[in-house]
Amino acid sequence: MSVAVQLTYAMAKELGAQRLELEGAKTVADVLRMTRERFAADPARYDELTRVAAVAVNGVLVHYKRGAKTPVRDGDTVAFVKAAAGG
Amino acid sequence: MIKGYAGRVLEVDLRARTFSFAPLDEEIARLYIGGKGYGTRLLYDRTPAGIDPLGPENLLIFATGPLNGSVAPQSNRFAVICKSPLTGGIGNATCGGSFALGMKKAGIDILIVTHRADRPLRLEIDGDRDAVEFLDAGDLWGQGTYATQKLLSRKHQHAVIGPAGENLVLFAGIVSNERIAGRTGVGAVMGSKLLKAVSVRGSRKLDMEDPEKFKAYTKEVRKLFEDHPVLGESMKRYGTGGIVNTTNGRNILPTRNFQKGHFDRAMDISGEFLEDHELKGVKTSCIHCPVTCGRDVEVEGVGVVKGPEYETLALLGSNLEIGDIKKVSEWNYHADDLGMDTISLGATLSFAMELVERGMLDATLHFGDQTGITELIQDIGHRRGLGAELADGTKRLAAKYGGHDFAMHVKGLELSAYDPRGSFAQGVEYATTNRGGCHVQGASMYMESVGPLTINPQNLKLKADIPIMQQNIACAINSMVLCIFTTYGMIPKAVHEMDPSSFTHRALAFAFENLPGWMLRGSMRIKGKPMLWFEKWLTYITGTTFSSGHLQEIGARIFNLERMYNLREGLSAADDTLPPRILHESTFPDMDSGHPLHLLLPRYYKKRGWSADGVPLPRTLEKLQVRV
Ligand code: SF4
Repeated sequence: MSVAVQLTYAMAKELGAQRLELEGAKTVADVLRMTRERFAADPARYDELTRVAAVAVNGVLVHYKRGAKTPVRDGDTVAFVKAAAGG
Repeated sequence: MIKGYAGRVLEVDLRARTFSFAPLDEEIARLYIGGKGYGTRLLYDRTPAGIDPLGPENLLIFATGPLNGSVAPQSNRFAVICKSPLTGGIGNATCGGSFALGMKKAGIDILIVTHRADRPLRLEIDGDRDAVEFLDAGDLWGQGTYATQKLLSRKHQHAVIGPAGENLVLFAGIVSNERIAGRTGVGAVMGSKLLKAVSVRGSRKLDMEDPEKFKAYTKEVRKLFEDHPVLGESMKRYGTGGIVNTTNGRNILPTRNFQKGHFDRAMDISGEFLEDHELKGVKTSCIHCPVTCGRDVEVEGVGVVKGPEYETLALLGSNLEIGDIKKVSEWNYHADDLGMDTISLGATLSFAMELVERGMLDATLHFGDQTGITELIQDIGHRRGLGAELADGTKRLAAKYGGHDFAMHVKGLELSAYDPRGSFAQGVEYATTNRGGCHVQGASMYMESVGPLTINPQNLKLKADIPIMQQNIACAINSMVLCIFTTYGMIPKAVHEMDPSSFTHRALAFAFENLPGWMLRGSMRIKGKPMLWFEKWLTYITGTTFSSGHLQEIGARIFNLERMYNLREGLSAADDTLPPRILHESTFPDMDSGHPLHLLLPRYYKKRGWSADGVPLPRTLEKLQVRV
């Protein structure tokens, strides 16, 4: 079972990868924990980079679902999303 | 004369080669401010129903407002108003650059261009001498917008068209410096009049009611903007392209002609990527604007030119499944130089690609394939071969080849880059906005999908209220004429800095989402003291008090007048819709269908004070003083 993680630009730069493919995650909490583990050298950096980022599963923010308990399925995309403005 | 206005309307007759100055109509200014509002009133009053948008009867109106000519940030924009050749309804677009400043310095609030020249002309207006020269533009005809502006006098400010406008591409725009009044085909109307350029100069100063207060307060606003996470940070650093990763994460980034809302290579076309890899260190800005959301990039064989904005990155990038920012920048340059709207261009190209994919059009065009696109863009601008067909936009292409179900336009205007299936209020806004499928006539998505404090974008709560409030304020802003991005500053820094999973943030979002619609709209309607910067600027400049309530009322007046114009021109409730793909195909695993417009539209009509078939009720028009 594989879940794709869409990182923010700053996270991607830090990890040297635009996306992560995570095996075995069953909930959003698992995804967050496993993503944080990728920042093993500096977990505080993960906390800093995700502080104002919301989390979405397939585009829907998890706080409209079950928060960190939201289940994830094979093929889902979990994204770290920052507020932004464009036009 | 009300302070803040130059007090003059210049009317130019291209057929007779005559001009006249008339005093600004203060009653119209009081009711409609200026810009888009004033221009719509003129268009309604001065043109009969049913005219050919590309015929000599159409008016081409350049309109400024009381903020233009001041040093207020984001305030140097002008509006262009005419009947749209793309939609057959109201046409308008606003543009930065320097032309608005030039008009005000020349002592002109409104410029009305009538009839058609007998050969290509350009106008040179000297406001100090009250002179208008009708100059031959034969040598400029065929030149791109960059070259044209280089060849024109440096003492003037210019508004020009490129080959797209000359060749009546239905989504051609009008360019000032590197900025474009892109939407609804205003450039084609200018081209139909054989008018290549308008150049304007003068040395008049803006007369304000309270210049001291204005100056001191503007200093404060500059500081506020500098400290603001959007206006002073993300837009400044990454331009409007800083939103690509956000819309992608929310599954609303148009991809493959809106077949999907997520593009795997989105990061490669993002504002952050541009900043890291392509930006030549130059961030550009409209006059007096500290936000500097423009980006310069290097295009091979051309040099350093304006880079792509969010809409272009999406419509010419993800929507064509192109993840190469260099290519998108190159196409953006060609579109700018030809003088055409990249939103309509990108959407028409993606529609043609899907037609080919389904075997409905025979051409070598494929999603994800850059081959031949540069040449095709040139062909569109010059109306050659297949390009001549694409030059008429998505709606007409669908009429010829079929594919109505996936023709991504509203009223003929191609959808911009926020997929409404993940942004329901934005969908209502697209469906009802008078000029068609556009996001900058309200920007509801900021309140539900991309901003720092958003409500659930996929339920029915407030989804008919937010568009009304947003469309009204956008109408007022486009009449001042201020940049619509100013509204992004309305949510304070403290909210941006909150952790979205924190209790406070979630409590705020919950309270917002559960606010009764009447309360939300009612609170905006209170006529009190000016609170926001643009309310204060208007008040200090004109001497008349403007508060949120005043602007909501003026905005509603403009919106209803536009609606009456569209109804007069034969549009109806049937045109208040979304593309069938948006209504019936889901891009979210948990949704079995598309956008629930059928549930929201009746609510919207009712809250607007319209009949069940979308006609403003007499009492609504009377209350808003909309004379028809
Ligand atoms: S925010 Fe950008 S588009 Fe708006 S006025 Fe400033 S530079 Fe121009």
